[in-house]
Amino acid sequence: MQTRAFFAACVVGCPPLALAAAVGTQAEALHWLRQPGHVVDVLLVDLGLPDGSGLEVIRLAARLHPACEPLVISMFGDEDNVLASIEAGALGYIHKDAAPDDIAQVILDMLAGASPISPMIARRVLAKYHAAAVLRPPPVRVAVVLESPSLSPRETEVLGLMARGFSYAEIAKLQAVSVHTVQSQIKSLYAKLAVNSKTEAVFEATRMGLLRE
Amino acid sequence: MRRLLLGFLCWLCWGCASAQPQPTLPEGLQALRNAQVTVTVGSRTSQSQQTLPYLWDRQQPGQSGSARFEVGFSLPKTAEVPYGAYFLRLGNTYEVWLNGVLLQRKGDLQGLDGADYAKVPRYVAIPAALLHQDNLLSIRIHADVGRRGGLAPIILGPEAVVMAHFVTEAVMVDLGTYLLLLFGSISALLLLPLWLTQTEPVPGRPGLVRGDRLYLYAAMAEMVFLLRLGNNVIERPPLPWAWWNALNGVSLGGWVFFTVLTLLVAAGWDRWLARPWVWAVFWAVVLSGGLASYASIGWQQPLVLTLWYGALILVLVPFGSVYLVAALRRPVQRSHLVMAIAFAVNVATGAYAWCIFRFGDAYGQTAMLAYSNRLFGVALGYIAIRRFWLSRVQVRDLIDHMAQRIADKEAVLQQSHQQMDHLVREQARTDERTRILRDMHDGVGAHLSTAIRQLQSGKASQAEVLYTLRDSLDHLKLSMDALHLLPGDVTALLANLRYRLTPRFAALDIELCWDVDALEPLTRLDGAALRQLQFMLFEALHNVLQHAQAHTLWIQAKALPEGGIRLQITDDGCGFDTHLPLRNGLLAMHERARVLGVVLTFYSAPGCTEVVIEMR
Repeated sequence: MQTRAFFAACVVGCPPLALAAAVGTQAEALHWLRQPGHVVDVLLVDLGLPDGSGLEVIRLAARLHPACEPLVISMFGDEDNVLASIEAGALGYIHKDAAPDDIAQVILDMLAGASPISPMIARRVLAKYHAAAVLRPPPVRVAVVLESPSLSPRETEVLGLMARGFSYAEIAKLQAVSVHTVQSQIKSLYAKLAVNSKTEAVFEATRMGLLRE
Repeated sequence: MRRLLLGFLCWLCWGCASAQPQPTLPEGLQALRNAQVTVTVGSRTSQSQQTLPYLWDRQQPGQSGSARFEVGFSLPKTAEVPYGAYFLRLGNTYEVWLNGVLLQRKGDLQGLDGADYAKVPRYVAIPAALLHQDNLLSIRIHADVGRRGGLAPIILGPEAVVMAHFVTEAVMVDLGTYLLLLFGSISALLLLPLWLTQTEPVPGRPGLVRGDRLYLYAAMAEMVFLLRLGNNVIERPPLPWAWWNALNGVSLGGWVFFTVLTLLVAAGWDRWLARPWVWAVFWAVVLSGGLASYASIGWQQPLVLTLWYGALILVLVPFGSVYLVAALRRPVQRSHLVMAIAFAVNVATGAYAWCIFRFGDAYGQTAMLAYSNRLFGVALGYIAIRRFWLSRVQVRDLIDHMAQRIADKEAVLQQSHQQMDHLVREQARTDERTRILRDMHDGVGAHLSTAIRQLQSGKASQAEVLYTLRDSLDHLKLSMDALHLLPGDVTALLANLRYRLTPRFAALDIELCWDVDALEPLTRLDGAALRQLQFMLFEALHNVLQHAQAHTLWIQAKALPEGGIRLQITDDGCGFDTHLPLRNGLLAMHERARVLGVVLTFYSAPGCTEVVIEMR
């Protein structure tokens, strides 16, 4: 309750932002999202809701409102929860203990095309793509063809620098690009992760015989 | 037992009485049995009409001499085909004349103690041109004492028929002897390797083994019997006849000697072999055999040899009977019984042979003992095969037993491994729990208790309490991050530390200069060691945040050329006096460096403070 009120206050306290709604349970959130006319630009979701996981809320929002940009409220920003959220469709995360100004700034940055990422998550993403490249299964013919996006060399380089602890600004300087470009690359990377998770699901479903060729 | 002996004696008497062979001759042959005999012994000559066979040792006991046999025969008409004469025994040396023409000569009729041509049957070819309707066959022999010289009935007829008869009776007898020699040689050659390879423990000498004596004694018996058997076909011995005969006597005694030893071992009566008098008897049998045989010819006393044979039979019959009865009642093994039967048959055959050769007219017959002795070979073959079979069964049982034991051991080992794995996992869980508890105690717990004390004292400002609580939360986040660090990944540790503390530096407006290479993992740093390093770095950065009043912070991580990593944290703050007693935080850093086995150095002066950690 306090957290919800705190985040609601942060949004309300930032003039460019407007609070659409604040609910306390998964059921309320799903119900609100299904209502016609309920469209939001940004969705702040805590994973540990009293009646279920916030991941379901993110998935529904991503499905019903593709333009909506979900942000996960995380206590620790730990990689397991953040990655699961990203794969469900989240485009970033925000620390529960962040200062009010920082919270508003993260929302605004994301709307402007940026997504936060920690070195640990960058490392995990690199490892995930590396393992996928090494252990990529033989191609299968499926009825629904989904491209499994791979990392571009520039994205790999950015992730590598992220994993070594460099900031956006330092990476931008090293690569002679703008900070905004680096931030956009991370955001697009998040979208790739979400697509990848869907592709993997299709592959798994095909392998298990749930989908016909 | 009495009935057994009585029956044996009756059979023996019957053998003596029926020893005279009267074979039915094939059609076309005739047996010439009546001869006019002229015998010369020394200077005395006598003439008589005799019925063949003429047994020299029986007719002229203990004397050597010569004899001429005149045998007349008539043919219905003049012969148109060659004839032949067959002599089952002829000699010791001889000449065969027909109608005044010499047909065949073997040896010197005047010589003494020469070659013995009477051992094997003889065939003499008679050309048809020499035959008339009435003919006179003149046979001259020289016979030595004790060598079973003389003349058997003469079988006469057309060459083809006589030759067929000769082949049937005589050649087969010779062939039988050679076959027996061959069989005996093979047996001896098989038994000796068995003796060498089949070992048994030496009683009372732990750890020592010896060859199986059963096979050794049997092989020796076989070899001395070969010597005895070989005498049947040796016409010119390498020794004087008396000594040669003595050697034959020794070989017969030796055969008895080793056969009885074999029997004792087969029956498990080895304890008798430990008694000296038993060996004395054995040697007496061997030596007396030689002596009696020498006396038979050397001293012209064949009766001595006859008596020796008789004495030997008198000893062996009761022994064989006792042995057979014991084997029937309580056979040690089936092989014991087989050996007993073989021995009983041999004793009976030997006694029968003694009877017919020494008292009967079995002239030219082959001693059946040579054949009956083969029963020992069969029995020993049976023993060897049975022992191999038993050994095979034992080996198979042993292998099965060993396989079962190995399987049991493997099961126990697998169980031990499972327990060990369980213990290792349990230990790992305990270690991890201990580490987390220590982290909570040193990190979050310590900061929370500090915050409580700050609030209780009422002296701390809100900013100070907030600072303490932020420290607590940062510690908690770092503890969470440490759970995901790969062993030795110092780069990730530094990157994460920066990520967590950047808001703090930004809040104090401290510029951060980051110079961290992509470092190879330092594998000796496990999870716990990385956590210690994380605490050290956190403490160093905490000092910068809280005490240094710095504007710029440099964090550098480089790989050392000789391997390892060098971390350097530099700030441009106010510095501190390194000569003063260290604060708790710095003392803790030193303690952690000692535990980690890394080199920690401080340099501080106003405007420049360096903390260097070198890890190899």
